[in-house]
Amino acid sequence: MPSDLSSLVHWILFLPLGAAAISALFLRREGGLAAWLSTGTAFAIAGLSLLLLGKGVDVTWHIELAKFGGVSLGFGYLIDANARLMLFVVSFVAAWIHLFSVGYMKEDSARGRFFAGLSIFMFSILGIVVADNLLMTFIFWELVGFSSYMLIAHYFDKDYAAAASKKAFIVNRVGDLGFILGIAMCLSLYGTLDFVALKDHAAAAKTLPIAIGALLMCGFLGKSAQFPLHVWLTDAMAGPTPVSALIHAATMVAAGVYFMARVSFLLAPEVLQFIAISGAGMAALAGLCALAQTDIKKSLAYSTLAHLGIMGCAIGLGRPDLALMHMAMHAFFKATLFLGAGSVIHGCHHEQDMLKMGGLLKKMPLTAVTFIAATLSNCAVPFLAGWYSKDAIIEAAYHGGHFAIFAFLALAALATCLYSGRMIRLVFLGEANSEEASHAHESPWTMTLPLVVLGLVYSVAGGFLASTLLPAGSLQPIKPALDAIVFHLAAPSTIVGLISLVVGFFGALKFYGSVRGADALQVVSPRTYHLLEHRWMDGVYRWVVDSVQRRLAEFVAFLDLLIINGVAVRWIGGGVPAVLGYLTGRSFHRGQMRAYALWIVVGTLFLAWFLIAR
Amino acid sequence: MDTFPATLLALAITAPIFVGLILLAGRDLPRSFSSGFAFGGFAIPAVLGPWLLVLWSDPNTAPQQFQSEGFWGFGFALNGLSAPLLAMTSLVGLAAGIKALTQEVEGRNTYLGLILFMLGGTLGVFGTNHLVGVYFFHEFALIPTFILTLFWGGEGRRPAAMQMAITLTAGAMASLAGILIAIDASGVEYGAATFESVALGLQNAKHIPAATGALVLFGLGTLASLFPFHSWAPPGYSSAPTPVSMIHAGALKKFGLYGIILLGLSSLDITGGTLGTWFLWFALANVVLVGLICLTQRDLKQLLSWSSVAHMGPIFLGIWVCGVSGKADGLDAAAFLMVAHGLSCAALFLLANAVRARAGTYRLDELGGLAARTPILAALFIAATMASIGLPGFGNFWGEVGVFLALRDQSLWLQALVASTVVISAVYSLRAVASTFFGPASEALEKRFAAAPFGDLGGAERFAACVLLGASMTIGFVPSLITKSVNPVAADITTTSQHNAKAPTQAAPAAPAQR
Repeated sequence: MPSDLSSLVHWILFLPLGAAAISALFLRREGGLAAWLSTGTAFAIAGLSLLLLGKGVDVTWHIELAKFGGVSLGFGYLIDANARLMLFVVSFVAAWIHLFSVGYMKEDSARGRFFAGLSIFMFSILGIVVADNLLMTFIFWELVGFSSYMLIAHYFDKDYAAAASKKAFIVNRVGDLGFILGIAMCLSLYGTLDFVALKDHAAAAKTLPIAIGALLMCGFLGKSAQFPLHVWLTDAMAGPTPVSALIHAATMVAAGVYFMARVSFLLAPEVLQFIAISGAGMAALAGLCALAQTDIKKSLAYSTLAHLGIMGCAIGLGRPDLALMHMAMHAFFKATLFLGAGSVIHGCHHEQDMLKMGGLLKKMPLTAVTFIAATLSNCAVPFLAGWYSKDAIIEAAYHGGHFAIFAFLALAALATCLYSGRMIRLVFLGEANSEEASHAHESPWTMTLPLVVLGLVYSVAGGFLASTLLPAGSLQPIKPALDAIVFHLAAPSTIVGLISLVVGFFGALKFYGSVRGADALQVVSPRTYHLLEHRWMDGVYRWVVDSVQRRLAEFVAFLDLLIINGVAVRWIGGGVPAVLGYLTGRSFHRGQMRAYALWIVVGTLFLAWFLIAR
Repeated sequence: MDTFPATLLALAITAPIFVGLILLAGRDLPRSFSSGFAFGGFAIPAVLGPWLLVLWSDPNTAPQQFQSEGFWGFGFALNGLSAPLLAMTSLVGLAAGIKALTQEVEGRNTYLGLILFMLGGTLGVFGTNHLVGVYFFHEFALIPTFILTLFWGGEGRRPAAMQMAITLTAGAMASLAGILIAIDASGVEYGAATFESVALGLQNAKHIPAATGALVLFGLGTLASLFPFHSWAPPGYSSAPTPVSMIHAGALKKFGLYGIILLGLSSLDITGGTLGTWFLWFALANVVLVGLICLTQRDLKQLLSWSSVAHMGPIFLGIWVCGVSGKADGLDAAAFLMVAHGLSCAALFLLANAVRARAGTYRLDELGGLAARTPILAALFIAATMASIGLPGFGNFWGEVGVFLALRDQSLWLQALVASTVVISAVYSLRAVASTFFGPASEALEKRFAAAPFGDLGGAERFAACVLLGASMTIGFVPSLITKSVNPVAADITTTSQHNAKAPTQAAPAAPAQR
């Protein structure tokens, strides 16, 4: 009975908005209360989402918000199997991250604002998931961008946080520019923005216009930090670590993937091809770049970029089901990795430089074990969560005959193992490399419990989860993917995976153990390190902003000042009062404004009299 | 005997004018009395304006029930376009009034009285249906604007007031000529010249002089800061006292657009032929060129003034595309944006002044890190900024997106240029937010704080900002509050405009849809 379940969706969507409003209005100084309100809400939503998942029933509901001319702008829900899965993943991961934040943000003076921001984010992301039309997606898309902006700017008194928040918002808006044009084009061609109706139109059409897919893809490039709009994600690590875990790893960036899956029927083959190639290239490149980061969070951010590339690649290969599956698996283990990093940072008294860590396995055992488990899942060790989805995508590339893509993905797999091994070696093994690391301590239960739940239960038991635990109805999007994997050792993906693991992971463990207190790659080959560390695209954008945009703006401003304001207006503006002044014997342009004001009054009264008397 | 809604309308317009008159006459009235009295003058319309909008949208009330005699021969009435604008004006007026009441100025009673005049005139613009009456009320509001800027303004007020006075008078004169010619051509008596009657008359007119449309478009366009007739606006808003900038940029300026829609678009085929092409290019310049100019601004209030000009671009384009496409959605969106922009723009001027009151400057390079000292001011300023760059949840979103969608059948480059405002406005607005509120506190600010510690935003201004932002969020969440009122009149105007565009006396066909 869809009508009954729509009220369940109302609750899921609007509970966090209510929590955010209460926190923002009344709990600004009651940080503790705000924290528990927001966390409680998140768990409630997770419960409701699980309920919805269990019911396995589609829900549709729609109202009209307004009419502009003949265009009806509506608000509604389209809950299908994909949406139920996404709702569950987002809300479940979010709930545990909320709990983690309670501990992590305990000392923060602006907890009220922080948790209000998290709740606003929840509202926004859930809106994207349930939306039944393009405009509503766009609305929540923008709101997600805003909440991300606010949360990155949490430490707003730091220049880097101020700059990073601005950058994230603006880069996302560049993507949204394309997105809104794509929406307009859909409306122009098909006369509707409704997903269901659009699907019918697309199915009826002989060919799909490339432009629609390309424009809608722009939104995905921005939100999911795909090349060339990927530049904001690493800077976004300026936000508190739970924000990085929730928004910039597990959910928001995955929203782009979800959206692409939702409108996959609108994507022309050329667009898909572009996404596949750029995604695979991105996966390989970002994975290698992760090797040249010493900040633990930034290294993880590059890892996220790589995984988003893999998901994008799956979309491009025409397998949105695999993309969503990898999105779900990735959400669990990447959230764990980020929370683990947060726990490490917390334990090391806010030290984020991996070169200054080391030997934390003994000092923070719980954190270390969960982190390592999630790392292995990240490396796609067989039968861990990441293996099922990542190998399925590599397999799809191979069987589809896309060998270039397959090669890129293989390189990405190797890079993943390399940076994972490096991370484990630098952070948890060896000796402590700084005062902070030698005095590290394990985090409180509010932080370790989420790690254990997310890390052990889900990362490790991911495959079990995928094949057995989830209720039957929710499996639809994943089922074909699971069937598609060839689970035998001779499969190319398994071979690639095992070679990567041995060469990459264990090689990195050994290689990075060879130098202490410095990055081995930087010591051995400074040039390679610099090549990977340098942010080339940032340079391009800086050039565009400084040399093109700024000069153009200044040129236009100069023209405006010179021609319009200077010549035209001054000439007329100076001329009229001069003539009047000459006529009246008074010099208006010397500033006799009182007289001028008087003249206006007299003139107007005269005019009024003239008109009325007529 | 006037009906109840008509009485409310008359009261909303006359109350501020009446209170203003008393304050002007009683310059020496005691402060406590004048404050309370003036507040009444600001508050009465603020209650009645939204109420009137609700009554107007109620299908059980007929438009005739809002009509009354008015004064000076200009009858009071509402239409679907003016009802939301009147409500917006009344709220902007309340916020501006509260701001004015918190200011310490010389000749306070005169100051308040003139602002009340300005408000009453602006309300009158939207509260009368008589064409010359609309014009009269506009002048009635404009004259106090000049005087207020001249005597109570900030830096550079003399040249700014002078330039504003000259340009606006020139624009108003041009538009008056256009209006008078149009009335003449329609064959309607001046006394009976309402928007409806003139539009009807022009439909059957044998000949409309060629320049009429241009006079109306560029004359009224000047008042609404259409490029390249915008030069008065940035210095004018910047140097005016804050309540004046709020009412002028937020509400009074919309008169130009209102007139362009009800007279130009509906009856004078301003979107057709060569004139239409010029209109398009000028409106695009508002979006793109003025947007670029905004990027070069280094002063917070200058930036807000320029951006207020830039934000007119999408409104003009909504009007343009309505005429070109013959579909009403562009007009619906433009009208929505007119209301929403009034609210967000007034809120920004209000809060920027609160920044200056604390930091002592509008210069962005001297500001910085204010959020740590004034979190509420920062939160409200960010909210107002987000409203102005079209974040969903605020009214501006519907207007902007509505215009983008209305342009859907035009060429992609045109759509891309218009939609580029999404990026450009985000760049300059967020830059302003970051340099004002984020980062470590600037040295200048620290020194100033050490010398004279300042607090967060005061209760009165907090309330004023919340009224504006609350209203913007209300229409952001329930857009039908505006569209219900605007839809019918927008549909009518669109139909009329298509009829007139095809009239034999108009040589020019509708502008080619670039596809």
